[in-house]
Amino acid sequence: MTPRAAMRDTLSRERGEPGGRVHRALPFPRARHWWSVATCASTLVLIFIGGLVTSTGSGLAVPDWPLSYGMLMPPMVGGVFYEHGHRMAATFVGLLTLVLAVWTARREPRAGVRKLAWGALAAVVVQGLLGGLTVIFLLPTSVSVLHACLAQAFFCLTIALALATSREWIEAGPPAEDVASVRTAAGLATTVVFAQLLLGALMRHTGAGLAISDFPLALGRVVPPLDSAPVTLHFLHRVGAVAVVAAALWLARQARRSRDRRFSRPATLLLVLVALQVGLGAATVLTGKAVLPTTAHVATGAAVLGLSWLLTLRARLHLRRPQAMAVLTAPLPDAAPTP
Amino acid sequence: MSFRKAVTLFALAAIPTACGGGGEQAAPPATTAAAPVAPAAGTTGDGTLSGKITFAGTAPAPERVKVAADPKCQSMHPQGLEKQTVQVKEGGLAHVFVWVKNAPGGQPAPAEAVTLDQLGCEYHPHVVGVRTGQPIKITNSDDTLHNVHPRPTVNAEFNIGQPRKGMESTKSFDKQEIMIPVGCDVHPWMRSYISVVDHPFFAVTKDDGTYEIKGLPAGEYEVEAFHEKLKTQTQTVTVKDGDNTLDFAYQGT
Repeated sequence: MTPRAAMRDTLSRERGEPGGRVHRALPFPRARHWWSVATCASTLVLIFIGGLVTSTGSGLAVPDWPLSYGMLMPPMVGGVFYEHGHRMAATFVGLLTLVLAVWTARREPRAGVRKLAWGALAAVVVQGLLGGLTVIFLLPTSVSVLHACLAQAFFCLTIALALATSREWIEAGPPAEDVASVRTAAGLATTVVFAQLLLGALMRHTGAGLAISDFPLALGRVVPPLDSAPVTLHFLHRVGAVAVVAAALWLARQARRSRDRRFSRPATLLLVLVALQVGLGAATVLTGKAVLPTTAHVATGAAVLGLSWLLTLRARLHLRRPQAMAVLTAPLPDAAPTP
Repeated sequence: MSFRKAVTLFALAAIPTACGGGGEQAAPPATTAAAPVAPAAGTTGDGTLSGKITFAGTAPAPERVKVAADPKCQSMHPQGLEKQTVQVKEGGLAHVFVWVKNAPGGQPAPAEAVTLDQLGCEYHPHVVGVRTGQPIKITNSDDTLHNVHPRPTVNAEFNIGQPRKGMESTKSFDKQEIMIPVGCDVHPWMRSYISVVDHPFFAVTKDDGTYEIKGLPAGEYEVEAFHEKLKTQTQTVTVKDGDNTLDFAYQGT
């Protein structure tokens, strides 16, 4: 019997256990887990490098794609250093993902995780194509924004793969009741942060980053005159920042109430990252979009999303809805037939 | 749905007014007059319009640009590249594009190309005037790679690579558009401007600020001077056969 068939056999025997998880008896795939972690970390670095491309205005320093000036390796000078460097880093992450997907397909008994790995591979391929399209079509806003948002979504996929192959997930016990609403708070934080990243990408790729050039006031007022799209977009991003701070504060509060360090520690770290992110946003404006704070703002945004997403997944793993809530939201039984 | 509309709907805000680059509006005409009367299309004449664009006041200090990002550029400019956008000599302002806004068009465009060269990690010339449809020969005389990336608003944008010394590309623009910025994304300090005009009545000021436009039919014209930093000035002038003079004066801080 092959290892995979043996695993399936184990799984089929375990199905139906009360409160059990079908993967509870899985061995910890240590090597694949660390490969996933490496893919995840590389993706965060790739997002930083991608941010550098835009921050340095190098997005079109290489006018062709998939080759660079007709070469595999052009001279790494000026803007080519950033743009071609981004392509090289993206190729590296693509290869990591390809290996991870094939590895997962061959060794992973859980169909959901296999699908997740294939989904990550599909996402990284589409991401590469979007990167090429945005160069060929001279940085159209829609493609550039999609490229930026898919990068964040792909980062979340790699986090999910890393968590799904972790010892924490494999050996998780039955979920406890989510009395502190950590699941809701984490899910809300992730949603708000992703929406904020979308606004940030729109602002960045429409050149609205300095549409409001002062901070903390906006054009000398609390609410600036919203008479142009760039100012409106920029101001929305600032409003979004307030929403992110509120969501992170609520998540930290609920995580602390849960008295579970698996939630309270990362939620505290999330608060620190959000504070750093607000500071970097201010620095981006006040330095006139200097390369380093602007790029760090992009990467820290990804880290904030990644951490809130990790908390969401972790909450889904370890917590279940409170019983009363489950009853309230359960589907109604079929109506009894009228005699 | 356009992006602007999408953003506006998302914001639930009022429909924004179109972006107009408010700070870059043309200066009011120096001379107000009734609508100028221009000759018929396709005609040329014997009028010559010349003059000097002067600059008074203090010009901005030249900017020292670091070019170390490309060792080839660095070797040509070991101390960095001195960029002076407001270039003044004997009170005259260089690199101003002067054109007759309402001159008759329809004259055939020259077949010979205007050359825009990349030399020393700079564009030569800094300001180029061409006719609509006239070929522009873009050459790379540097032993390093460049990309050539004009950012027009009316014409089609393009981005081409010239990775080797001696490469040439020929392009043209088919619509009138003044001062199209041209840049190299590899070397962000590189900047040139191409003005595309429907007729032959334009000029770029020399180092001493003088210009000359020949073959202008007699008539009343609106003449615009356009400097990349100091922006535009417009005057109305009546041109007769023979020599005519029109000066512009920019004021510094």
